[in-house]
Amino acid sequence: MDLSEYYGRRVLVDQPEWRQGKPAPSIETLPTMERHGQMIRCLRCGQETACRIAALPNNEFYCPHCINLGRVATLNKFYHVPEPNQFTVSSPVLTWTGQLSPLQEKAATTVDTGMAAHRHQLLWAVTGAGKTEMMFRGIAHALERRERLAVASPRVDVCLELYPRLQAAFQNTSMVLLHGRQELPYRYAQLTVCTTHQLLRFYHAFDNLIIDEVDAFPFAANDALLFASRQAVKETGGCLYLTATPGPALLRQVQHGKLAVSYLPLRYHGHLLPRIRLHLAPGWRRGLQHSHLPASLLNQLRRSLDAGYRFLLFVPHVTDLAVVGPILRTALLHHPFTTVHAADPDRLVKVQGMRDGKYDFLVTTTILERGVTFPEIDVFVLGADDPVFSSSALVQIAGRAGRALSRPTGTVGFWIGGQCRRVRSAVSQIDFMNRKGRTLKQ
Amino acid sequence: MNCLLCNTRLPVRLCLGDLLALRPLQQPVICEQCHTGFTRIDPNHACPGCGRPQEHPHLCCECEQWQHQYGWHLNHQALYTYNDAMKEYMQRYKFLGDYRLRHVFAVEFQQRIRHLQADLVVPIPVTTTTMATRGFNQVRGLLGDIEVTSILHHRAADKIAQSHKTRHQRLQTPQPFILSNPVVVRGKRILLVDDIYTTGRTLYHAAVLFKKAQCREIVSLSVAR
Repeated sequence: MDLSEYYGRRVLVDQPEWRQGKPAPSIETLPTMERHGQMIRCLRCGQETACRIAALPNNEFYCPHCINLGRVATLNKFYHVPEPNQFTVSSPVLTWTGQLSPLQEKAATTVDTGMAAHRHQLLWAVTGAGKTEMMFRGIAHALERRERLAVASPRVDVCLELYPRLQAAFQNTSMVLLHGRQELPYRYAQLTVCTTHQLLRFYHAFDNLIIDEVDAFPFAANDALLFASRQAVKETGGCLYLTATPGPALLRQVQHGKLAVSYLPLRYHGHLLPRIRLHLAPGWRRGLQHSHLPASLLNQLRRSLDAGYRFLLFVPHVTDLAVVGPILRTALLHHPFTTVHAADPDRLVKVQGMRDGKYDFLVTTTILERGVTFPEIDVFVLGADDPVFSSSALVQIAGRAGRALSRPTGTVGFWIGGQCRRVRSAVSQIDFMNRKGRTLKQ
Repeated sequence: MNCLLCNTRLPVRLCLGDLLALRPLQQPVICEQCHTGFTRIDPNHACPGCGRPQEHPHLCCECEQWQHQYGWHLNHQALYTYNDAMKEYMQRYKFLGDYRLRHVFAVEFQQRIRHLQADLVVPIPVTTTTMATRGFNQVRGLLGDIEVTSILHHRAADKIAQSHKTRHQRLQTPQPFILSNPVVVRGKRILLVDDIYTTGRTLYHAAVLFKKAQCREIVSLSVAR
């Protein structure tokens, strides 16, 4: 068997196999679960389960939390070989030839020195700051030091988007992409791009780990993610979290001094984030039942269209699309638009249609909150106080506006039924970054 | 409590009857959305031999063939059809090994077993290799507190799983079982229990042994057909 499959990983082995004895002397056999009184703890995902729930017959136990990665049970063992860093570095490592702005340059240097010192750091960069390019120098130097690296994200689409960009930037480096829906077998490579779930398969593997969009659903910056990242990096390894909207778990770590934080409060074009303007619309949902939209919203939509700007209108639920769509069709005659949601079969076609300028606006749910960029648009949210919009989602939504150099500002309006903590927190996060940005500009 | 299949929150509904019944509460373990994925088989509209859903009350053609081969046929019942939802369920319960999922059908299954009033309840066994890897027998998991008679065993520790074979290969499978204590079977009404009835091959092999041991009657039950 190929030993490289075990390098820096914990591979599950079934009872009949490990009882037969070790296949090779260099392979370590590690336990899978640990019992603490009435609780049993999975050593892969770190979650504790009541023994009553996790029980198998004959006093054996399994972990129901990470079962989709293959079941961890007391019947199994892990096979592990410590990471040997067996890589050959072929130069040039960095094949990317783009230019960084002075601000990005500064952040790139911070990232680079942090990675060289194997620090645990958080880069809090606003949406549209150009985070990916800023990592390149740090990654290149680490690869030259023959380090094993991983770039992970909670979202598959972020990984899928990152992988080709990294491949283009580091053409001479062995690279592998891992996520749950993939059929390709695992391969030992110097740079791993994977979902944060897949990190649980690694054990003390990486010298540096970069986690992009830490705050993204479904594996938001919670303790499970922090556990996964801690055990995937070497004991001496570093970890870089990239986000526009750090959640409470990360901020707590910053406050406790466990995580160094650096800010990038300005976008690549050097402008501040558009401020969120709140509009109170109590009873908007009742109005919707009678086919009424708040008058202030309709006026704002007309103003945007008259000024020649396109926009995105977010609504909380897929069912709201069917109501808002017809109202707008009569209210805003002669303006082509469409509605789109996550399960929409024509989703990609419609988004491409918006890019091509076929539509004046899109009405959508939270799917377009990240990664999708249209230039020169305005952004509006109807019912921003609905619980489906987390504060990080709201910051991301607001961040869709003002991304282009040709129009670095934009209007961002939230229509809310009442005040709520998530909306307030989104507004204050943006104001906080803008205050930092203003001091930088002076 | 969350739905065991899709993990959405289950609403807790209490009615006066629950409070007055002085019985342990019977809360659902899966949500209504997941429940609609499974299709129940009405025993009155099913083949009397294999439990396959059909309109007429006569033996289906597969059972006719068994009748032809052995001179008798099983009296099998199944709770649900083997559709996509059931396939997904079995995949997660058996092959992924999520033992909690036994609760999804356990209550209903045990009710039907009690209803069938057998002298001996015999679950189809798993091989010792499967037991060492999976850690449980998926059929026994469904039976809960029901008393079972473990006299049916696999001849070999290892075999190729039925689910990895084609229909033709399944039907060619030689007798995999032995009966460890044939004496207790004599003159009894036997209930054979399995998780899925696909071709019937497994259950017929088991039934042959019980017939030889001179049982009085055999009925059989599975979750899916």
